[in-house]
Amino acid sequence: MTGRPIRPLAEVTSLEIAGSSRPPTFKVLRYRADAEELEVVVGDDRLPLKPADLTKLARDALAERTFVAHTVPDDGGELCFVPRDDHCDILSIRADVRRRHHGDHRRSPLEILSDLAAAVACGRLRFLTEAELQAEVERGSVVLSRPVTDSATLAAARSDVADALEELGFPPERREETILCLSEAATNALVHGGGRGTLTLVDMDGRARLLVADAGPGLNFVNWQEPGGPSQASMGYGYHIILDHIDDVCLSTSPSGTTLILDQHPRRPEVMSAC
Amino acid sequence: MLTARLEQEAAPTIYLSGEMDLDCADLLRETVERAADGAEQVILDFADVTFIDSSGTGIFVRLCLDLQVTGTGLRARNVPPVVAEVFDMLKVRALVGEETFLD
Repeated sequence: MTGRPIRPLAEVTSLEIAGSSRPPTFKVLRYRADAEELEVVVGDDRLPLKPADLTKLARDALAERTFVAHTVPDDGGELCFVPRDDHCDILSIRADVRRRHHGDHRRSPLEILSDLAAAVACGRLRFLTEAELQAEVERGSVVLSRPVTDSATLAAARSDVADALEELGFPPERREETILCLSEAATNALVHGGGRGTLTLVDMDGRARLLVADAGPGLNFVNWQEPGGPSQASMGYGYHIILDHIDDVCLSTSPSGTTLILDQHPRRPEVMSAC
Repeated sequence: MLTARLEQEAAPTIYLSGEMDLDCADLLRETVERAADGAEQVILDFADVTFIDSSGTGIFVRLCLDLQVTGTGLRARNVPPVVAEVFDMLKVRALVGEETFLD
């Protein structure tokens, strides 16, 4: 190949400060009034507060029906208490705010985690336990199922799902934004979820459900940005786009894999959640 | 799949056609590098792009920023609505500069 090679940015200015390089973590526990112990939904139960304190704060949030966020002293992390129906989810987020480099257009882990926390708080995103996931997977009737292993199978999946959504009564604009979100979800499976995923479209009696499942290591956000560095494709906006355009999102993630469920009505609901 | 056809016009112009997702990085980078050879500007014509996601957008943004460092301006023109909507979502104009867009 001839021509002048494009050099990477000559100088990358690190804005990271010393001592703040702990890996970002994201964990979800669930409090139920009738359960003895807190249930692990994402990650493990090692949180910066004692279970008794977590339980008390969760019980208060549930009683008040109010979203509460606390900063954890000496930890730099954040704990969010999100009441929903008969339970309260406890989100533990620790991410390095300054872990962003000059010239890097990608989003920082903190920004990605904040999107997730905000979406849970306003009811657009639910984290599912294994048991809840199993129950959801059995609902509806399967329209099509495709393996996604690379760009070619991803393109074929986009095309097949677009056709199926048209048959389910999705107008062109709605199809377009749903296909974009499908592409974002499947790309996450390819890049972060072990390199392959399975896409399933389910007819949920009037709305469409897309399931994107992988058998990867689970979302831990430690290696969230792919090893290729900022020259690679990711901008870290996948979840942001999904949460902005899909009516209801469910996420289940564990060391044995990640499943994302996107529920979409053919037309954007008149009444959207408050945020 | 994306195809990229390089034409030597007033400024080297790359006509993109097809879908821009996580797979278009190498093709786009190689074609742009070939076109950039000493040129002040390289034009990307998006008229026939039928799909783009955040991965495709990320590749475009990265190329713009890398080229700025070498003194060549990467310019975009004929951006169709399906691409413009995603660029707006991801605030691409703020990332690469207004001057990148010719229309």
